[in-house]
Amino acid sequence: MALVRTMRDQFDWGLFVTSCAIAVLGVVNLYSASSAAGARSDIYIQQIYWLTLGTGVAVLVVAIDYRHFERNAWFIYGAGIVLLVLVFLLGRSIRGSTRWISIGGFSLQPSELMKIFLIVALAKYLHHDPKTDGRTLKDLVVPGLILAVPMGLILLQPDLGTALICAFIFGSIMVLTNLKLRSLLTLAAAFVFSAPLTWAYLLKDYQKGRITAFWSRLTGNEADILDTGWHTHQSLVAIGSGGITGKGFMQGTQNQFRFLPDQHSDFPFAVWAEEQGLLGSMLLLGLYVFLVIWGLRIASQAKDRFGAVTAVGVSAMLFWQAIINVGMVCGLLPVVGMTLPLFSYGGSSVLTTMLGLGLLMNVSMRRFSHS
Amino acid sequence: MLLSPRREVGEFRKRYKWMALVVVLVFSVLIGRVVQLQIVQYDEWAARAQENITKTIPLPATRGVLRDTAGRVIATNRPSYRLYVTPQMMTPEHVALFVDLMGFDQEERREFQRRLREIPNRRRTHQIEFYDDIDREQLAALETHQNELPGVDVVAGPVRTYPYDSLGAHVVGYVNEVSADDYVLYATPGRLDEDQVELLASLLELEGEARRDLFARLLVEDVRDPVEILRPPSVKQFWRIYSNGSLPGVELVAEPLRSNRGARSEGGTSAYSPGSVVGRMGLEEWGERFLRGRAGYRRVLVDATGRRQMIDPRLARSREEHEAPQPGMDLVLTLDMELMNTVKRAFAGHPSGAAVVVDVNGGRVRALYSKPSYDLNGFIAGMSHDEYNELSSDPFRPLIDKTIYESYFPGSTFKPISALAGLAMDGFDPDERVECIGYYQIGTDRKRCTSAHGEVDMHSALVQSCNVYFYKLAETVGLERLNEWARNFGLSQRTGIGINSEARGFLATREWYEEHYGRYRVGYTLNTAIGQGNTRATLLQLALAYGALANGGTLWTPQIVESIREPDGTLVEEFPTQARRDLEVPAEHMDLVTRSLFGVVNAQNGTAYSARIDGGVTASGKTGTAEIAPGTPRSDVDPGRAWYFNRSHAWFAGYAPSENPQVAIVVIVEHGGAGGRAAAPIALQVLQEYLGSGATTAMSTRGVDRDRRGG
Repeated sequence: MALVRTMRDQFDWGLFVTSCAIAVLGVVNLYSASSAAGARSDIYIQQIYWLTLGTGVAVLVVAIDYRHFERNAWFIYGAGIVLLVLVFLLGRSIRGSTRWISIGGFSLQPSELMKIFLIVALAKYLHHDPKTDGRTLKDLVVPGLILAVPMGLILLQPDLGTALICAFIFGSIMVLTNLKLRSLLTLAAAFVFSAPLTWAYLLKDYQKGRITAFWSRLTGNEADILDTGWHTHQSLVAIGSGGITGKGFMQGTQNQFRFLPDQHSDFPFAVWAEEQGLLGSMLLLGLYVFLVIWGLRIASQAKDRFGAVTAVGVSAMLFWQAIINVGMVCGLLPVVGMTLPLFSYGGSSVLTTMLGLGLLMNVSMRRFSHS
Repeated sequence: MLLSPRREVGEFRKRYKWMALVVVLVFSVLIGRVVQLQIVQYDEWAARAQENITKTIPLPATRGVLRDTAGRVIATNRPSYRLYVTPQMMTPEHVALFVDLMGFDQEERREFQRRLREIPNRRRTHQIEFYDDIDREQLAALETHQNELPGVDVVAGPVRTYPYDSLGAHVVGYVNEVSADDYVLYATPGRLDEDQVELLASLLELEGEARRDLFARLLVEDVRDPVEILRPPSVKQFWRIYSNGSLPGVELVAEPLRSNRGARSEGGTSAYSPGSVVGRMGLEEWGERFLRGRAGYRRVLVDATGRRQMIDPRLARSREEHEAPQPGMDLVLTLDMELMNTVKRAFAGHPSGAAVVVDVNGGRVRALYSKPSYDLNGFIAGMSHDEYNELSSDPFRPLIDKTIYESYFPGSTFKPISALAGLAMDGFDPDERVECIGYYQIGTDRKRCTSAHGEVDMHSALVQSCNVYFYKLAETVGLERLNEWARNFGLSQRTGIGINSEARGFLATREWYEEHYGRYRVGYTLNTAIGQGNTRATLLQLALAYGALANGGTLWTPQIVESIREPDGTLVEEFPTQARRDLEVPAEHMDLVTRSLFGVVNAQNGTAYSARIDGGVTASGKTGTAEIAPGTPRSDVDPGRAWYFNRSHAWFAGYAPSENPQVAIVVIVEHGGAGGRAAAPIALQVLQEYLGSGATTAMSTRGVDRDRRGG
């Protein structure tokens, strides 16, 4: 009964309504995206199932006081690592990368879940780190290792997008928890110097292709449109031709005639922008801005460091995914596989996001509780 | 476990507002981008989206048919398979599969990829013709995989075909595709500002004088008519302009016709687009305006895989459009292909020569035959460099139209004209006899005759082709009057047939001799009277001149196109015969000459007597044996064969039937030797076959009801 009372009193309506709005718009958009001429599918129904399942998971997460997660953080982190290793043993390979394992008929993408587990692990570490003044590079060694293990495994799959998000989450958390300016500069320098090495040894040809296509578009050379820049080009056509009011629901020619690649997973924003126009785009982007800031506000009000770091981590995850996905769809960033949280189709993505939102709600609802 | 006290998390609280600001700022970049795409660049992207779903399929017009006077098809169209590629739909995988199915070798692969790359962006969604007439194996391979290659379409379309192959190739002409060389770059002065002219100059890579000139011509106050900038632009300039088609008033117009130079095509847009065919020679070129028709197109809505979509028109915001091609008009020619075949048969055994047959009462051209020829269908299919080089280096010159484009010394076929020039002089007596002792002494020069003819008057001099008589005549008549009569008969003037480049021929004057040979000698005049000297005439000119001899003195303008008709046979325009001039030769003069020409064939001592056909069509005419440019042996043939190429050309010019002339004929057998032996048999055989069998073919077929689209 105490729980129910807490739920009623402390329930974070702002978080709930914003998340629901994005999810509902996402399903509506998926309905249009999945009814492209001649290829009607029930993907939007499946998305509803995933959202329902995700809500269940979120409720479960909310019901358990996050201090339990704090206590079991290393176990959770370890389980994530095991799943990532399992991918290499049992995984299915799709389009050249091995990211999925099948569990009871569902395909699960452990790298998605790992983002949340990483957040929890980092929160746990920082929670017990007594240091309150600025962090030096030496202080980053342990959390750096916490990041490096899963990130390395994810890069091996390879899943550049998720690995990047892990790094960004790590970075955001570290910056927000008093990183020394000198450390920050050193890290930035290290990144700059490692970029050519990454280009030469880590990136696959198709990944390099996307980046060169991105550059040639930025520099106005459209010769590459036929090859790797094709997807982004069509995405820009979709968004641009939407105009202010959009072409109307189910009326987007780029979507309906299947000029858009991966309408469901990576490019749903283009479908939305084409059919709903600038007004729709602003509404959706506005919801994400609100959601992220709301998450940061939750972090600022958290009663302890674990809750704060968790909230910052989840907010950072939502923020970076939204920025990178929309940036890529708008042609501002090179193409990487990246879902738009709650809006894109995908079981693992939905579950991960719901897990994160559940944690946010958990932290939010227990900001005043004392044990 | 101890949870940290609250104050320890204060560090986040301090940064919350800054963080929120960063979030808002970063998102504003995205929103700015979306605003840029959806408002600022809206028009451009909307156009691209529309382009994506529309596909324009060109519908080539059926080119008009060429028929001979009896309705036989000379040039028509057969179905072929043209291959169109929509560049935007060709992913690298598609390209790989495609070149595989087409069975391309390395070079063809590279060529295909180069062409694919060079298509400018704004045309990438169009279907562009890449290959015409793919073979059956390629067709079968592509059909099997058509679902995997949405960007490749095979369209059955017409390709030009010539049932008579090489027969009459020079006069019929051929077609091929518009090329970059056919384009002209126009710009409208006054419509470009300084920056735009600057851009144009840099696109064309003009520098220095040329660049200043461009500025001077285009930067003017008032808008004027378009001026020609480049004809033609280089391939590089062409593509640079083509892919930057946004400069106002700057346009590339295909003007493939030599005859149309300077005249921009109707309605501001060219009648030609890349891939359309144009007549390049002969009647195909002459009749281009009528034959080509107008291409149509079909605009359909397609999805990303190029498949046609039946969709709600509201969704597309554009309707499917269709404009049917308009077939070209047909040309009915005056030529008689059966006669052409007869001429071809009669020429068997002679490697090179030519013949012209014209109707003496109207100048309708019945045959224009030039040997050797080339296969028109081979020209259409596209000829390799080697094949073309072989044709152009052949010593018998198959690419030359020997009936119109080439001119020759007329030799003794000129003598009737000399005779008339003599007769026209006051006090000239044709019965006065001249002693021929086999040569004519003039100063230190001894000019030879064909033999010692003894005492000859004008009649027997023509019959036996005595040179001495005409040397003597020339002394009396003089060069000016000989030339004047030659001009009267149409020599040294273009006949006006209108096809190909017609040679004018040549008549040398006293001044010309002085200029070129240092001084004038009377020997030149003597040579002129027997058709040597420097007189040159085309076969067509001679045929019309002999036509005038046959019809009592009317010189006709040659006519090769009888009428223009709609594809259904409806008459569009019928061309009347045109007399050029009446020579006003007294009947008794004409009588004397025609009696002599009758004698050439029918008198026992006539030079063509041995070639006459007993009991056949009566024919009159004149033989000729023209020395070829003395002292200038052909250098383009190997010395072992030079003897042959230094032999005289054999001539026969005449008409039939003698009592009621219908057609005039001129035959030249190049390096054939004596006209009576080599040329006369050909001419007489042709006349016999053409007129002998009841004399029905020539005249009566014109009214025959024709099967219009039978071919």
